[in-house]
Amino acid sequence: MLSEEKIKIMTNLAMFEKHEGKRIFPINRYFKSDYVSSKLFRSFFSYTFSFLSCLLLWGLYYMERWLNTMDLKSLTGTGIRIGIIYAVGLAVYLGISIYIYMKRYEYASRGMKVYLAKLKRLDKRYDGNTRSIKRIKGGRTS
Amino acid sequence: MMGLLVLRERLKEFYARYGIYITPVIKFIFSFLAFSLMNKNIGFMTKLTEPFIPLVLALVCSFLPYGAISFVAASFMLAHLSGISLEVTLVMAVFILVVGLLYYGFQPGDSYLLVLTPVFFLLKIPYAIPLIVGLSGGIVSVIPVGCGVFIYFTLLYVKQNAGVLTNDLSADEMQKFMQLMKSLLANKLMLIMVLAFVLALLIVVIIKGLSMDYSWVVAIIAGTIAQLSVIFIGDITADVSVSVLGLFGGVLVSLILAGIYTFFVFTVDYTRTEYVQFEDDDYYYYVKAVPKLTVSTPDVKVQKINARKLQRPQR
Repeated sequence: MLSEEKIKIMTNLAMFEKHEGKRIFPINRYFKSDYVSSKLFRSFFSYTFSFLSCLLLWGLYYMERWLNTMDLKSLTGTGIRIGIIYAVGLAVYLGISIYIYMKRYEYASRGMKVYLAKLKRLDKRYDGNTRSIKRIKGGRTS
Repeated sequence: MMGLLVLRERLKEFYARYGIYITPVIKFIFSFLAFSLMNKNIGFMTKLTEPFIPLVLALVCSFLPYGAISFVAASFMLAHLSGISLEVTLVMAVFILVVGLLYYGFQPGDSYLLVLTPVFFLLKIPYAIPLIVGLSGGIVSVIPVGCGVFIYFTLLYVKQNAGVLTNDLSADEMQKFMQLMKSLLANKLMLIMVLAFVLALLIVVIIKGLSMDYSWVVAIIAGTIAQLSVIFIGDITADVSVSVLGLFGGVLVSLILAGIYTFFVFTVDYTRTEYVQFEDDDYYYYVKAVPKLTVSTPDVKVQKINARKLQRPQR
């Protein structure tokens, strides 16, 4: 026989999974530190690749000037400046990444708690299969 | 007003019922507009300018997510650019790659703004973008909007200087590249537009979140004033020429579009605002509750009663 209560809870669960599933389940498979560090690893490569691409454009733009005034001292100075810009940019970008991914992990953890609570509610309907929701002493629902 | 509210409710009902068909249609129009405008303005690769190509691509895009549509549009743009100049293609490819890696690596889900901003520029109503995006999104949206402005002005530069940039010319590649970079980085109009859009978007986002009456309307007006101020100041100090007629026309249409958006998303009745105050163990609460303005659609059923003449079978 159809149980209207169960159908309502299951529909609610399915809707929750559909809307929030992508933002919760893939993240909750990891510990917080593992999740954030794996994302940071990706951010590091993204930043490095982007920096190298910009450096390529910059190098092409100044190539003529370099070829005209080729000298070891100025090249070393430029190299150090590029290194500093890279390091500072990387630190800022990784800082932003840490902040964003920590927030996302916290959001996913909270979402998982809600999901588990919903599952528990459904599970209780299976325990006493035919029992309907009714208040018992102390105000809790069974 | 009542008629408009009823219309809004009817449209909502219509969307709720046929949303599954309406969304692909919107995506189709969005992509078709983008591809057609690109063909019209930077159609340097003649193979892609056939009229059926935007149509077919838009049909495919109507079933793709917005992120994928942006990717297809970027590829289409790079293909056209490669038809005129490899230097421009390289600059644009690096720009898109960097934005894609650094910003879209976080999957913010607003990649359509990269396409929509240049499209609105080509439709002469770019001033609507910071207003509507400010009302619908957050502060982070300044990044795709700013990038969209850069893409538009790069394409405009390519369109205006197509003769100089052509691949066939035997000019020095390096000279062409340096000239291109210099022109892009020193484009004062572009910098002013980026500044105007960013400032307007920030103002709209901040004011719309304030707890004052008519905050959305005030946000729209303040955002428009900010845009106009930056453009006029830029016009005077940096000596860039902006068509005043086009500017006011664009601003007027943008204001109307922002007004329509507000009407559909945030219609409240400030005359019935309730102020309540209560407390619990930890906090005092000062709550302002503004009721939404809603009407129920009249359920009109016309019953036509025809007096039927019953003809008894004659015996």
